[in-house]
Amino acid sequence: MKYSLDHKKYLRKLCMQDIFIHVCRILLLALIIGLWESVANSGIVDPFITSSPSRIINKLSEMFASGTIWNHIFITLEETILAFLFSTIIGSIIAIILYLCLPLKKILEPYLVILNSLPKIALGPLIIIWMGIGTKAIVTMGVLICVIITIISMLNGFIAVEEEKIMVLKSMGANKLQILTKLIIPATLPNFISVLKINVGMAWVGVIMGEYLSSSAGLGYLLVYGGQVFQLDLVMTTIIILCILAGIMYFLISIIEILINRKRK
Amino acid sequence: MDKLLCLDSISLTYHTKKGETLALDNLSIDVQKNQFISIVGPSGCGKTTILSIISGLIKPSKGNVTIEEEQVTKPSSKVGYMFQRDNLFEWLTIEKNVLLGLEIMHKKNKETKEYAKALIKKYGLEEFSHSFPSELSGGMRQRTALIRTLATKPEILLLDEPCSALDYQTRLLVQDDIKSIINEEQKTAILVTHDISEAISMSDKIIILSHRPGTVKKIVELDFDKKLTPFERRSEPQFSKYFDMIWRELL
Repeated sequence: MKYSLDHKKYLRKLCMQDIFIHVCRILLLALIIGLWESVANSGIVDPFITSSPSRIINKLSEMFASGTIWNHIFITLEETILAFLFSTIIGSIIAIILYLCLPLKKILEPYLVILNSLPKIALGPLIIIWMGIGTKAIVTMGVLICVIITIISMLNGFIAVEEEKIMVLKSMGANKLQILTKLIIPATLPNFISVLKINVGMAWVGVIMGEYLSSSAGLGYLLVYGGQVFQLDLVMTTIIILCILAGIMYFLISIIEILINRKRK
Repeated sequence: MDKLLCLDSISLTYHTKKGETLALDNLSIDVQKNQFISIVGPSGCGKTTILSIISGLIKPSKGNVTIEEEQVTKPSSKVGYMFQRDNLFEWLTIEKNVLLGLEIMHKKNKETKEYAKALIKKYGLEEFSHSFPSELSGGMRQRTALIRTLATKPEILLLDEPCSALDYQTRLLVQDDIKSIINEEQKTAILVTHDISEAISMSDKIIILSHRPGTVKKIVELDFDKKLTPFERRSEPQFSKYFDMIWRELL
């Protein structure tokens, strides 16, 4: 296609803006790292308290060289993925049941609201006693944090589907199950993806919280341990690893979103 | 002529927490095969309710609805309902939207699919078969909605203000469109509208309803040359005469 000179100029401007944003992002990161390193080195702040980028890099290479970090990463990753999957599946199934049986939804509504506002960490002692110490308790914590909000937001999405579209199907003689599979689920797919995105973040919250409660390995365990023995290098390094892992998981969900949208156009 | 649809002394009462409202009172309408009937009336007189009752979505409190002497108790494939908005499913292609009714009724087979595809082709949507609704204009979308309704081969089409969501120009085009497709496919149609000129330009007979509770106030048989399109009818001398008459009835 041949563009006019004006249009080429316009495209160039768009491209320049894009480059500018990316450069600024990288500069911001470099600025933070540089500033952090220099104040820690010059003695303005005590690197024992704040750690520093160079110490974090040392710690990272040390941990990866000895290989101990892999175990912690795998354990936390496994727990997070399990919590994410369980809460999404259980939450979706419950939301569908409540949608198909509206009286049940009405009965359970106040309980859902209270459970949603309850700080789930308050259930910590119960979880440990009922599930024992270890993976089961931690995954349960993650599921509890995600599942209620999954149910509520999916149900709200179901209910928001236009009444007239439901009438169209009903006038064709559709039953409840057909309305669900032909209309409600495909219509609320974008909503489902945003639930997935929220759940990725919430599963991490739940799992790290669970590991604070009771664990002998995992990134949450490293954080607690690092804090207790005043090894801020370890704490900071673990936080960096967590950032990277959470970012990767969010990125994967975004890819799923793009694939689904491409299929639906 | 054979009587296709018969509403026999229908009454309908709506119940809400605040009380009960008599929406339709002792309403009787007969519709012959291949007739195009319009129902006009003041807002809130229960026009749409009549369509919901014919389609079997609502049960009347009193009275009987029969199609070909068979009582209507639930939605059946004899009736196709087209709503005010096109209600196309944005995530389905035009072809899949058109096939939706067949799929719901478990009637999707080679023969019915061919018929639906033939309709798509006949009414100029073939090149959009694999497009999504968002790529079509308002008029095209409404045409797709009509074809979706026709694909299940209903005897009677119920049209609930199918043009009111469109801009004026498109509305005139879609009126011609709908009328010619319904003539071509030899369907019986019942149109609900608040637009008097739409009713006059499209139908054979207009039923004027009273204020709530809705009941038949007057029936106007329209006399136009059969060959005229809805748009052409608008410039006929009797058009304004009918308009005036119906306008007075609705006051």
